[in-house]
Amino acid sequence: MVPINNYLFLAALLFCVGMFGVMVRRNALVVFMCVELMLNAANLTFLAFARQRGDSVGHVSAFFVIAVAAAEAAIGLAIMIAVFRSRGTLNIEEIKTMKH
Amino acid sequence: MLLSECLQHASLIDCLRQSPVDSESIAQMLWAIIALPLAGAFVSGVFGRMLGRANTNLIACAAVAGSFVLSLLAFWAVNDPRTALLSSFSQDPVRYAVAHDFGTWFAAGTFRVHFGLMVDHLSGVMILVVTGVGFLIHVYSTSYMGHDEGYGRYFAYLNLFIAMMLTLVLADSLPLLFVGWEGVGLCSYLLIGFWYEDAAKAWAGRKAFVVNRIGDFGFLIGMFLLALWVAAFQAQTNNAGGQGRALEQWRIGISQQGPLTFRGLEEAVRRIPPAAAQLRDAVSLDTSVVSGPLKGTTFGQVLLAVLLLFMLGAAGKSAQLPLYVWLPDAMAGPTPVSALIHAATMVTAGVYLFSRVGFLLVLEPTAMAVVALIGAATALYSAVIAFGQDDIKKVLAYSTISQLGFMFMGVGLAVFWAAILHLVTHAFFKACLFLGAGSVMHGNAEETNIKRLGGLRRQMPWTWATFAIATLAITGIVPLSGFFSKDAILHGVHGTDLQGYPWVSNTAWLIGLCAAFCTAFYMVRLYVLVFEGDRSPEARTAKAHESDWPMRLPMVVLAALSVLGVVYGIPLIAPASGGPAQTVMENYLSTVSAVPQQLARIHHTLRQGHESSLLVAWAQAWAIALAGGGLAGFLYLRYFPSRPKLQVPAFARALERWVRHGFYVDQLYYFAIVKPTEFLSYVLYKVVDSFIIDTLIVRGVAWITARSGAALRYLQTGNAQSYAAVMALALLCAAGYAVIQVLK
Repeated sequence: MVPINNYLFLAALLFCVGMFGVMVRRNALVVFMCVELMLNAANLTFLAFARQRGDSVGHVSAFFVIAVAAAEAAIGLAIMIAVFRSRGTLNIEEIKTMKH
Repeated sequence: MLLSECLQHASLIDCLRQSPVDSESIAQMLWAIIALPLAGAFVSGVFGRMLGRANTNLIACAAVAGSFVLSLLAFWAVNDPRTALLSSFSQDPVRYAVAHDFGTWFAAGTFRVHFGLMVDHLSGVMILVVTGVGFLIHVYSTSYMGHDEGYGRYFAYLNLFIAMMLTLVLADSLPLLFVGWEGVGLCSYLLIGFWYEDAAKAWAGRKAFVVNRIGDFGFLIGMFLLALWVAAFQAQTNNAGGQGRALEQWRIGISQQGPLTFRGLEEAVRRIPPAAAQLRDAVSLDTSVVSGPLKGTTFGQVLLAVLLLFMLGAAGKSAQLPLYVWLPDAMAGPTPVSALIHAATMVTAGVYLFSRVGFLLVLEPTAMAVVALIGAATALYSAVIAFGQDDIKKVLAYSTISQLGFMFMGVGLAVFWAAILHLVTHAFFKACLFLGAGSVMHGNAEETNIKRLGGLRRQMPWTWATFAIATLAITGIVPLSGFFSKDAILHGVHGTDLQGYPWVSNTAWLIGLCAAFCTAFYMVRLYVLVFEGDRSPEARTAKAHESDWPMRLPMVVLAALSVLGVVYGIPLIAPASGGPAQTVMENYLSTVSAVPQQLARIHHTLRQGHESSLLVAWAQAWAIALAGGGLAGFLYLRYFPSRPKLQVPAFARALERWVRHGFYVDQLYYFAIVKPTEFLSYVLYKVVDSFIIDTLIVRGVAWITARSGAALRYLQTGNAQSYAAVMALALLCAAGYAVIQVLK
């Protein structure tokens, strides 16, 4: 059996990759994908602990996170399409104002 | 009852004394006496311009005339021998008084004030003077203000004044009296500054208002103290002296009508036993107050403070020392206003107040001494200043102050009837003099300097005749009313000794005689310079013109009244209790002054002083008036005109300059009071208002907000990634903290 530390290290790595992407990438779509990456890192942590403790609370949390991620994807992509339509760009450095 | 029926079984006098309207209906209609002029003020003020000049004149005069008729009916009803008032404060009915309670004005805890109006013999005389003289002056004004554009405003103020003055004299409690007191002050301010485009006149109005406020402040504090006094008295009185039921009745009255009604106060002081009586547990003036805000003082001390504060208020309203300075400047208003407000009615409010609360005054000889001496000092002081005045209205203004001083002298030594008699006769002859002065100004292109008039006798015969009669009246020549009223005061003052202050009556009497001499002198000087001699070469118009009938008629009526007023001053009536004959006024006002007299007797505050014959006193007064008048007549008719190049010695010039400027009291007040106040205000304005409030607080808050906003603006970049970086950093910190906690 793979020790839990490995899972946790992998999850931390994924989280850091995601966070790094959120902070440095310019394209909003990529930033968005990085956020998904962070969510999945969190999921992995939940599942690893659930496996270790042998209870199902972690699974439930993971399902919640997946549901939230789905909702976020739906709304976020819609926002992005709207932003792109109105501003013609998804460069996050240019999207600084709420009003256009 | 019809007169003819009545005459079958009673004499004419008794039948005439029966009022045509029963006193209960009159009592319920008392509000209309005030409401009529009030409505007139509203109509002429709001619709004056729409109605036009003639209609406004008619409405204003009719309102006062209606009020006068109602006052006559009320007066008649009060004089009806069947009239009796059931007071809430005692079980005994009060005769010769009509009153009605129109409900609660406000109530706070045990303190209540009611809209209660009352007519007795004192306020009956006053309402007749106010509405009667007021009506005549309204008629006069229709012609005097005939060319003024502000007629609507003028008559609105004048009507409002009448309403307020009537509130003052009809009120049955001190708070309601204070409403009228403030109302007449307001109207006085508005009318002095009537021609407000002229800055000096607007300032004169403001000065009158501010000086009056100083007095009103005293009056208000006195009233509060008196309310506390009544509360303490109510808490400490008990059934000592076997007056249980009467006291209970008084308590009920106080709880129903509030502590400050005149009737309630009168009943309260009647329960005070003299200090020497030593009744067990009874509240006398030497008793200390055991609880409440007044704790530690005696009832007598509080009463003294109340009366002195009332005197401050009266000094402001009635232009006595040291607050008289507003009245000479008040002559900036239209002349009929000076006649009505600043001679006949409003300025006598202080005299009325003290006559009304005479039952309190007689308990405190110190307060009486202060009132009498202030009155005497004012009488002489302002009579001297009147010597040096060249403005016809200024002479009359100082004369008014002086005559009011006489009244206060009388009030101070509890000769209330003489003070009120002088109030009434003074209202007649001084109003007549002012109206005459207005007529002179009207006919001489608004010239007020008496040295530039002269010789008006033939050109203005009506004005001359009425002015001459009024001059004789105020001078105190024998068959005229002023002689009897002034002498009544002097004789009364001389004949009364104050307990503990035996010198006061003699001092006041001597000062009064000097003031009477001065009065004769300056009045004859004024009369001679204006009406006798040749017309001054500096006159503005070659020939003066006589005024219209609406101006002549009031002067004639007032001159006639100043002759007829003599009836009240002659001892005609033998009192029922025996003793020397009383004057009509003394007999008439005895219903009101009986309680003060009785209290003075019980508390031994007044003693019968020098027994001097009335005829001797009359001879003295007459001699003094003749001497003063004769001297002035000689000087200004013979001596000065025959010596046009007369060199006046330097000291006389200096003295004349001092007198003309009123001993520089205005300047003294300016430097001693106005300047320091202005300086203090300037410091407060610069330091507190400008610096601390405006700069430090108001602008400081704005500055801090703006600066912190500007600093925080750099955080709000709008860049989502920098926000994410901050969040990541915070997360890192939280993780680091958690790790440290775990490692510990």
